[in-house]
Amino acid sequence: MTMTSTEGSNHGPSVAVPVATHASLDISKLKDKISIRNLEFFYGDSRALKSISLSLYANKATAFIGPSGCGKSTLLRVLNRMYDLYPGQRATGDVIFDGDNLLRPDQDINLLRARIGMVFQKPTPFPMTIYENVAFGVRLYENLPRAELDGRVEQALRRAALWDEVKDKLATNGQSLSGGQQQRLCIARTVAVKPEVILFDEPCSALDPISTAKIEELIDELKQDYTIVIVTHNMQQAARVSDFTAFMYLGELIEFGATATLFTTPKDKRTQAYITGRFG
Amino acid sequence: MSDMTLKGATVTAAEAASRSAVLKRLRLTDTIFHGLTRVAALAVLVLLSGVIIALVIGAAPALGTFGFSFLFDESWNPVTEKFGALAPIYGTLVTSAIAMLIAVPVGLMIAFFLTELCPMVLRRPIGIAIELLAGIPSIIYGIWGLFVFAPFLQQYVQPFLIDAFGSIPVLSTLFQGPPYGIGMLTAGLILAIMVLPFVTSISRDVFDAVPPVLKEAAYGVGCTTWEVFRYVVLPFTRVGVIGGFMLGLGRALGETMAVTFVIGNAHHVSASLFAPGTTISASIANEFTEAVGDIYTSSLVALGLILFFITFIVLAIARYMLMRLQQRVG
Repeated sequence: MTMTSTEGSNHGPSVAVPVATHASLDISKLKDKISIRNLEFFYGDSRALKSISLSLYANKATAFIGPSGCGKSTLLRVLNRMYDLYPGQRATGDVIFDGDNLLRPDQDINLLRARIGMVFQKPTPFPMTIYENVAFGVRLYENLPRAELDGRVEQALRRAALWDEVKDKLATNGQSLSGGQQQRLCIARTVAVKPEVILFDEPCSALDPISTAKIEELIDELKQDYTIVIVTHNMQQAARVSDFTAFMYLGELIEFGATATLFTTPKDKRTQAYITGRFG
Repeated sequence: MSDMTLKGATVTAAEAASRSAVLKRLRLTDTIFHGLTRVAALAVLVLLSGVIIALVIGAAPALGTFGFSFLFDESWNPVTEKFGALAPIYGTLVTSAIAMLIAVPVGLMIAFFLTELCPMVLRRPIGIAIELLAGIPSIIYGIWGLFVFAPFLQQYVQPFLIDAFGSIPVLSTLFQGPPYGIGMLTAGLILAIMVLPFVTSISRDVFDAVPPVLKEAAYGVGCTTWEVFRYVVLPFTRVGVIGGFMLGLGRALGETMAVTFVIGNAHHVSASLFAPGTTISASIANEFTEAVGDIYTSSLVALGLILFFITFIVLAIARYMLMRLQQRVG
């Protein structure tokens, strides 16, 4: 996606939107990858998500936007049950992932997380070599012969647009890479497991503009094979990379729709206020 | 900056003079302070070399008489004044090995449980209990070991081990002989309990320092808790864990009182872990009052010198390993 003409302009609902590329979206033809129905989320006693219902469409990128504390990251972390790690956090409602409610208690969480990969705000390379970082997740679930594993690692690194930069130093520690490279390494690691959905939690907030551009480009390519969900603070980024956008505010889903529509003709005045920069 | 006129360039001569006087005074205190820190730091070197020199001088008669064979001789006979350090060295190494073999895995498990899996309510009580365990004086471990733990081992555990491993080649040698209760195994187990808090609290601190997002990332590719521990937490913290291991090992090698109570104090090298033995520090503690002859006293000092070297080598290896690790990660 090339949306360079609108970059930096952030003062009106009518700009910063790749209208042409998204105008043809026909929701009735899209397939739900994940359907969220009446989702509520609690940190102890406080309710962080209030009756959220929305669909994440297969092979589309959906962006969650909203001011800090609106629950967009919380919503993302429900999708791979990351909240399970912390006592006192719980979710109610239904999150249907390919016909299977992923909130059910007997859900195999490890397998779920292999099918729904996640890339974090800060790059999180593991304390091992670049090669091992990518091979790590693959080894957990597949027992591949060395040659095939090598192929998978190369493929994943190519997918993450990192191969050319690291192919001669696969044996060096992953933590020695630059921030942007580390983040792409994490994407490679996620892709290598062959997930169906990839969750991005503000993947570029710790990166410089060039690395950001690379990662956005990457997300756009990954859509062909994966369903993408991205949480971002950056509205231009949401406009550039996503097909659908959900605007959240104070734990509620205020508006959800095609990115082009939501940015050009928001229905709710809070959405309009946010995307025009009046609060948040 | 309302009522004060702070103009940099206009300093009168008087002001300049008083300033330089103040500076002079400050410089003097600074010089004294520098000197004191230097003396304090150098005192460590002086003390260390003083201890080494004293040990070497004290050990010289024994080492001169017995030569290198002092290290490999099992006999320890005050009557004929024939001394060898093999049994205490062996006992020291074996009891410490048993202690570390038990304390390290258990300590790591406790630490991981406390940092990752423990419900909040239990976290503090268990953490405090571990720290209290470290604070118990070793004499208490000694009497508890002798009057409670050793009889318990003698009655229940040792007969069971003899039965269970009696027919397995290598293990039958390790667990043979009459169950005395006291012996190398008992000493090793007591040491394990004493070392456990060190390993646990250091591991817990370094585990706590692992960034949560790194663990989440590992869970995020589908790791189980064990896999997160094995492939992410341990590699991330290995320098700290090795540090905790070495600290524990240092304590196990040098521990005197508790070991003296339960090891049996026999100058024998025996393949069986049930057999009574001795350690370097236990020998010295037991015998320094009755050491009458010069050679006897000197032999005990020589034992001390050997312990000094063993701990020195352990520390050196630890340093070397940490250096290698950092280089490889670097």
